Amino acid sequence: MIRHLITLMWNRKRANGLLIVEIFLAFVVLFSVGSVGVYTWRNYQTPLGFDYQDVWEIDLNPGTQPRAEQFGTLQRILQRLRSTPGIVSVSRSVSNTPFAFSENSTTLDTGEGTPQGYGDVYDADAELPEVMGLRIVAGRWFDRRDDAVSRRPPVVITELMQRALFPDGQSAIGKTVRASLGKPEEFQVIGVSGPYRAGGELSEPRPGFFLYVSPQDTARAMQVLLVRVRPGAGAALEKRITNDVRAINASWEMGVNPLPTQRLAQLKVNLAPPVILGMVCIFLIVNVALGLFGVLWLNISRRRGEIGVRRAMGATAGNISLQVLGEILVLTTFGLGLGLLVAAQFPLLGVMGVQTGVYLTAMLLAAGLLYLLATVCALYPSRLAAGIQPAVALREE
Amino acid sequence: MNQFPTSATQPAPTVAAAEAVIQLTGIEKVYQTKTIETVALNQVNLSIQRGEFVSVMGPSGCGKSTLLSIMGLLDEPTSGTVAIDGRSVTSYSDRELANLRNHKIGFVFQSYHLINDLSVLDNVELPLLYRSGVSGKERRQRALAALDTVGLSARTRHFPSQLSGGQRQRVAIARALAGRPEIILADEPTGNLDSVMGEEIMDLLLTLNRQQGATIVMVTHDEQQALKTERIIRFFDGSQVN
Repeated sequence: MIRHLITLMWNRKRANGLLIVEIFLAFVVLFSVGSVGVYTWRNYQTPLGFDYQDVWEIDLNPGTQPRAEQFGTLQRILQRLRSTPGIVSVSRSVSNTPFAFSENSTTLDTGEGTPQGYGDVYDADAELPEVMGLRIVAGRWFDRRDDAVSRRPPVVITELMQRALFPDGQSAIGKTVRASLGKPEEFQVIGVSGPYRAGGELSEPRPGFFLYVSPQDTARAMQVLLVRVRPGAGAALEKRITNDVRAINASWEMGVNPLPTQRLAQLKVNLAPPVILGMVCIFLIVNVALGLFGVLWLNISRRRGEIGVRRAMGATAGNISLQVLGEILVLTTFGLGLGLLVAAQFPLLGVMGVQTGVYLTAMLLAAGLLYLLATVCALYPSRLAAGIQPAVALREE
Repeated sequence: MNQFPTSATQPAPTVAAAEAVIQLTGIEKVYQTKTIETVALNQVNLSIQRGEFVSVMGPSGCGKSTLLSIMGLLDEPTSGTVAIDGRSVTSYSDRELANLRNHKIGFVFQSYHLINDLSVLDNVELPLLYRSGVSGKERRQRALAALDTVGLSARTRHFPSQLSGGQRQRVAIARALAGRPEIILADEPTGNLDSVMGEEIMDLLLTLNRQQGATIVMVTHDEQQALKTERIIRFFDGSQVN
């Protein structure tokens, strides 16, 4: 019966050409949107690597205070914050804090012609793991031992960076790596951390590394602090922090942004394109469904004589129903076949550098959705066809 | 040629009923619309014996095709009983009726009713598609044998639109034969053909009846062709007449 259906639909390919093209185009669009969706979902499912709950970002602006005095003011602010009840720990950071729509990236390698790791670079002090709940998986984090000036400053890399730089699986601890930070510099790896996806849940997980900001560093990490507060801390603590900073130096301006709030704001912005694509996709699916339904209905009306003959030859009502369903599934397969030829090029050519699994999953989803759509659209027409009285249909013919 | 006219009021003979391949008893068919009631068949009692070649004649609208549809289990009578091989099919399910049509009955229609998008061979295979236990290879062999019987072995890959009317009707007969049914119901099989082609088809049906023992019930308007069959049943206004 399957061979019969394929033969019949193949012979009717011209008559059904537009329908096949419609299914093909629907597949391509669904595959594209599905790829975005799967990519986004996979990223969302991947651990951030840090705990943003009860963490506030404090943005500082020294205003008109002379640069030479700014470090002293910052030190006093840090001391005050660390002694404030309700604050657990404080870390100096730079603008690419979590969910901040800001990134700083560069390439690391271990020498000429060696594997490279492109990823995010973060400035971090000794308190960052405590503030952000960052996990150290090998070696150690920065501490006072790193305050001394070294020819090869310390660096902590993430696991993904270790895998990128040392694909053979050897440990990165103690190894020298090079970064292009304005001029080539050498660093010594002292630790390997878990993931740190400051770009948020929807960003692609990628390698990263941390550069040390010592307490005496007066050049970097001067204007952003990350503060872990006690659970339940709210407006009262925020007001106290604001007052304390003003009391230290009234010319400094500051803003407090809880990371959970920043996360939601970032999610809204980042989800907008997939949501718009999804809505376009739903509109398309409805149109395809209406098209399929209409064509099937028309086909049933035109083929009443054929249905009568099939019934006369021994087809049951169920056989007729399955025939209609089978035909649309075969047509869908023709359209999908063409679509898969196009879609297969994406993983084969490595388009956009997205993992092959994303494209394969999107292909399966798009194909499954179209088969489901075809089946749903064929259900009612197939019941109509099954209900045709053979004697009446043959007489009409 | 033998003729066994039956009367509308005459009850079906019980002995014959036991041997009859088709037995219609007290068949009535009424088409009901909101405003009008049309009696298509009125108290028809009819027995078709195994191996008979019977023609059914009558003016247009007298119920001939309705009778054939009821005999072929394509339509249900409003009242009365249809028995095939001595078994009443009144309580048969859709699946059982379809099975009976598939195994026992072959249809030939005036307008051929071939599927234009299937080749001659695929058209002829059609009844066997709905029969379980028949492999693809066997289907093909039986379809080829049926096409050989009607003299169309050379046209297996052609499509119906590439054939003449007579050839199309021979394909339709081959399709009816492919399932090796005991009964062939032919609804004006020569109605769309010229006299030469009509004769060809008639000769083919006679050959099938005489050489293969097929039971044939043929609806026709052509008196000359009807006279070639063993029995003529005449209808007028839904009732059998002598």
